[in-house]
Amino acid sequence: MIHDAQMDYYGTRLATCSSDRSVKIFDVRNGGQILIADLRGHEGPVWQVAWAHPMYGNILASCSYDRKVIIWKEENGTWEKTHEHTGHDSSVNSVCWAPHDYGLILACGSSDGAISLLTYTGEGQWEVKKINNAHTIGCNAVSWAPAVVPGSLIDQPSGQKPNYIKKFASGGCDNLIKLWKEEEDGQWKEEQKLEAHSDWVRDVAWAPSIGLPTSTIASCSQDGRVFIWTCDDTSGNTWSPKLLHKFNDVVWHVSWSITANILAVSGGDNKVTLWKESVDGQWVCISDVNKGQGSVSASVTEGQQNEQ
Amino acid sequence: MKLKEVDRTAMQAWSPTQNHPIYLATGTSAQQLDATFSTSASLEIFELDLSDPSLDMKSCATFSSSHRYHKLIWGPHKMDPKGNVSGVLIAGGENGNIILYDPSKIIAGDKEVVIAQNDKHTGPVRALDVNIFQTNLVASGANESEIYIWDLNNFATPMTPGAKTQPPEDISCIAWNRQVQHILASASPSGRATVWDLRKNEPIIKVSDHSNRMHCSGLAWHPDVATQMVLASEDDRLPVVQMWDLRFASSPLRVLENHARGILAIAWSMADPELLLSCGKDAKILCSNPNTGEVLYELPTNTQWCFDIQWCPRNPAVLSAASFDGRISVYSIMGGSADGLRQKQADKLSSSFGNLDPFGTGQPLPPLQIPQQTAQHNIVLPLKKPPKWIRRPVGASFSFGGKLVTFENVKIQSQQGAEQQQQQHHVFISQVVTEKEFLSRSDQLQQVVQSQGFVSYCQKKIDASQTEFEKHVWSFLKVNFEDDSRGKYLELLGYRKEDLGKKIALALNKVDGPEVCIKEGKQESEFLPSAGGTFNISISGDIDGLITQALLTGNFESAVDLCLHDNRMADAIILAIAGGQELLAQTQKKYFAKSQSKITRLITAVVMKNWKEIVESCDLKNWREALAAVLTYAKPDEFSALCDLLGTRLESEGDSLLQTQACLCYICAGNVEKLVACWTKAQDGSNPLSLQDLIEKVVILRKAVQLTQAMDTNTVGVLLAEKMSQYANLLAAQGSIAAALAFLPENTNQPNIVQLRDRLCRAQGQPVPGQESPKIPYERQQLPKGRPGPMAGHTQMPRVPAQQYYPHGENPPPPGFIMHGNVNPNTATAQLPTSPGHMHTQVPPYPQPQRPQNGWNDPPALNRVPKKKKMPENFMPPVPITSPIMNPLGDPQSQMLPQQPSAPVPLSSQASFPQPHLAGGQTFHGIQQPLGQPGMPSSFSKPNIEGAPGAPIGNTIQHVQSLPTEKITKKPIPDEHLILKTTFEDLIQRCLSSATDPQTKRKLDDASKRLEFLYDKLREQTLSPTIINGLHSIARSIESRNYSEGLTIHTHIVSTSNFSETSAFMPVLKVVLTQANKLGV
Repeated sequence: MIHDAQMDYYGTRLATCSSDRSVKIFDVRNGGQILIADLRGHEGPVWQVAWAHPMYGNILASCSYDRKVIIWKEENGTWEKTHEHTGHDSSVNSVCWAPHDYGLILACGSSDGAISLLTYTGEGQWEVKKINNAHTIGCNAVSWAPAVVPGSLIDQPSGQKPNYIKKFASGGCDNLIKLWKEEEDGQWKEEQKLEAHSDWVRDVAWAPSIGLPTSTIASCSQDGRVFIWTCDDTSGNTWSPKLLHKFNDVVWHVSWSITANILAVSGGDNKVTLWKESVDGQWVCISDVNKGQGSVSASVTEGQQNEQ
Repeated sequence: MKLKEVDRTAMQAWSPTQNHPIYLATGTSAQQLDATFSTSASLEIFELDLSDPSLDMKSCATFSSSHRYHKLIWGPHKMDPKGNVSGVLIAGGENGNIILYDPSKIIAGDKEVVIAQNDKHTGPVRALDVNIFQTNLVASGANESEIYIWDLNNFATPMTPGAKTQPPEDISCIAWNRQVQHILASASPSGRATVWDLRKNEPIIKVSDHSNRMHCSGLAWHPDVATQMVLASEDDRLPVVQMWDLRFASSPLRVLENHARGILAIAWSMADPELLLSCGKDAKILCSNPNTGEVLYELPTNTQWCFDIQWCPRNPAVLSAASFDGRISVYSIMGGSADGLRQKQADKLSSSFGNLDPFGTGQPLPPLQIPQQTAQHNIVLPLKKPPKWIRRPVGASFSFGGKLVTFENVKIQSQQGAEQQQQQHHVFISQVVTEKEFLSRSDQLQQVVQSQGFVSYCQKKIDASQTEFEKHVWSFLKVNFEDDSRGKYLELLGYRKEDLGKKIALALNKVDGPEVCIKEGKQESEFLPSAGGTFNISISGDIDGLITQALLTGNFESAVDLCLHDNRMADAIILAIAGGQELLAQTQKKYFAKSQSKITRLITAVVMKNWKEIVESCDLKNWREALAAVLTYAKPDEFSALCDLLGTRLESEGDSLLQTQACLCYICAGNVEKLVACWTKAQDGSNPLSLQDLIEKVVILRKAVQLTQAMDTNTVGVLLAEKMSQYANLLAAQGSIAAALAFLPENTNQPNIVQLRDRLCRAQGQPVPGQESPKIPYERQQLPKGRPGPMAGHTQMPRVPAQQYYPHGENPPPPGFIMHGNVNPNTATAQLPTSPGHMHTQVPPYPQPQRPQNGWNDPPALNRVPKKKKMPENFMPPVPITSPIMNPLGDPQSQMLPQQPSAPVPLSSQASFPQPHLAGGQTFHGIQQPLGQPGMPSSFSKPNIEGAPGAPIGNTIQHVQSLPTEKITKKPIPDEHLILKTTFEDLIQRCLSSATDPQTKRKLDDASKRLEFLYDKLREQTLSPTIINGLHSIARSIESRNYSEGLTIHTHIVSTSNFSETSAFMPVLKVVLTQANKLGV
């Protein structure tokens, strides 16, 4: 059973992960499908994979039910494990790399309720910060805010490293979405609690920045609801939810297009729908993605794997 | 991990799934007495608040009851979909009574909370269950084999499922089937279970292993499989859970022997049929997979027995257990650390012992310092197997280029039931196209750029314009491509020369009377000298006399002053003319200073040639007139600046209408950057179509500027660069990566553009092995491997060649790979070259990698003088890059270079955009463009909505490459026209040899290449006789070095011929002629 599939930064390689404990990387350039690597190291189902920005090399993070996060790296054409993070007490459900401007930072959300942040400090070392009790009985998703410099870009003294405010969103089994912000002392602090869902928050996705002052987050839940949260004020404290749709089944995943104008919503009824905001601010479904027809251009198939 | 605990000896019931928030109801247990031996009873409701990390549960309401309970369930009956009304709490009492409570009233603190009550049963009611299909149906069981079916809507008279079983026995458990609504099962401590069919009103099967040791304490139906159920035994001699399948009811399907002593309660998870909880007298709470018998989890409990255990219906990871030590605990099976628990214990201790830090040292007392070790113990591991509800079955994620990666796990249920399911594991990559109009317009624009059919394009735009302003803008743009552009601008502003002539004539006719007067006056004046006869030079003291004196002494200056003083303007001017240039100028000035007429300032400007004055100070309502004046009079070198100035003034005006008019001025000025700025201010740029509006204009204007002002327009301003990259981003998001690349401005070091270019190049999947220094817009950071090694530093190597040489065409897809849906297997095999070696011979060699040439802002060129590659300033020393390396230059031409035989052919890019130029070269000519006309590659005319991006194009490439070179030859130019080629080439050579600055040389080089278009047309003999004749005339004038004559003929040809026929080479010819004229060669 495949649990995640992610393309790299360029859209030329596909990483998948599965119940069979494997992480696989395919070359999908030009509609081809070549298995490049079959990464073994996890001892449980692998839930998510995440590509780091290519400026750091070819790096992939994966998280699993085995409580581990593994960071894989391609060296000389072969993929190898470069780091293993074992700081969680339960299933690690979500991994997400911070915007590349911050350096190599990985956020990991776990069923133990904690979120850990791994920062690469050079020479193979990773520094770990942990937010305990972020979400009681489990964090299901983490998603970084795009890198935005406070104030106008023009005010930034040139040559100086911009002073980013690091933020990310998380969603969990306490039905909450929480926004976290790094304080000046480097500690992570809960900045906001967004309440609207009446069941587990399955996924959160912070929309990419398109140069507008508005921040946007999409969230989906076990309760079948998908909310779009927006925040217009500069302090970032007033978030208002708008119900995109209430589905009949659990909604597992939300994903923004790179230009942040389309949201892909994946539901428990195995349906993927695409949504777009109309001129009057309403969200409309613009298509059902029917796999294997019409718009589908390629498919990668994993063998019939035995999951036992 | 323990989440919450409540100190109660009680039966428990979770609120139904629909209910939010989650409540837990507890009712004092009838069987157990707590430590106080208190006989009071109560019904309590707690809220499960998981956002509170403490172990305490928030009590919402307590109701003092006169009953103690054997069983408590919470049904969703009459719950509205919003979950506002909290269902019905159904309790089984000690004396045959069943009581219905309204939980919402309990929570509200109401006194009257009992909905109904019935004591029809005999003995304690130990078994209760709600039908999940018809939530008004409740089954109950008590002593004497009594089973009743209650309708909550008609509670007075229960039904029976059939005749009572004999011998009479206690009913300890009862359960509705989870799949079939009319099937009910009951079980008794004697070990027998009976399955009832309510439609037949009789028992249909009895299940028993005849061991007489099965003392049924628990009964549960399989959540998914209708015929399966489990029975638990509390007999210490047979502490088992039996799994039965009614189809094979002679013996249990499986026996789970995981408990050491009798089992007191079981609960089967509705969320995951592989999770069955059981608790027993061995003080264990186990979670096992009843389908395999494997123990998945053992809850960390204290040593007390639990007599009741329940899954939380709404939160599948949560369960509650009631233990004999008078506590109800809520656990999560997902593991985690038990910080909260420790905290609570510490709190309790501190409240008992008082302040643990009596001396205020900041040091707690020693015993609590130890827990370092216990911390390890407190970490509770999760289930061995991940529960179903965290296994994400479906997902869709966007990636670069508007691709959507989706996967789903479709279960194909075979007839064998749940255990044998096949799953398909597919990941789909789809292209998402949402902006069709945007793409088609972008396509059109590219075609226009290629075919250079700007005039017709502008005309089309004019015709399609919705607003007057839009029409104006396009009209202005169009004029750029026409002769006598200034005149046409004037016309557009409402000043037609012919019209004006007529108007003046008309005006003169109308004022016939005054004309006559003038004539009369003339007659008079003629008459005057003749009448005087003699010429009297008066030197009297009046003004006349003084002037006379001054004139006589040659003092023109004074004479003029005198005339001016006397308001004899005409005299003054005439005298000043005689007095020389300087005096004339002074006099003009003085005249204008004195004169007050309305149009004086205009006249001033015309005479003084001071257009700046007009532009700077005219009333902005007269911007049209000002612009017209500038168009008429301004010298070429100041023309742009003046238009600019006027535009700036208009823009800074508050009036939004005038602001938009500034665009027209900028178009006249050819100032792209300002046009962008002005346009952006006026329009909402976030919409793709309005961005398209802007880009169309910008591209056309740049082309115009290139043609008319013959200047190097490669430099791109900041704002334009931003807009172009926005545009490219949009195109990329729609999957048009090649187009995006083509529109992206080059020659810019702006990081976001360099990054986007890099991303686009690589997205096209162009590895360029062996070619050094791809432009990586970032500093590469090294992430050493976990284990240090000598190679750990900078050891990135070109990618394993195996993948690149992968001969797709010859191998069938690997097993397990399914080409899906509409992906045509033919294209799939055709899209890659058959073998790398093959390509070497067939791709025409290019001298060396060339400068990026991306089309939209470059003249089409067949070849370029090799130019040094521009590096970004912050460029790092070339690091060989691992893997699928982009084409560093973004140059689709260089992607054809033979250096990369192994590259999976750069499909879309090549086949699409720059091809016409490419094809204009020597080799491909005959194949793709038999008519020598810049053809439209197929890939561009249709957006990639279906099919692999580039896949269909692959075919073309294949053809191109598999044709042997020898066959591709060009026709000769007909002899009679050969003279044109030699003349033009000779002229360019002469210009080149005398040109000094590199820019001119470059221009000439370009021209030489672009004239290939002309030669091609000559070869194909597609030019009309008029054009041919005209060209020959030009050639003759070149022979005679009369370039201005040549230019005149040129203008004539252009104005009389079909623009599209000549647009490919005529502008170039003009450039050459102009240069020749300038250089005087």
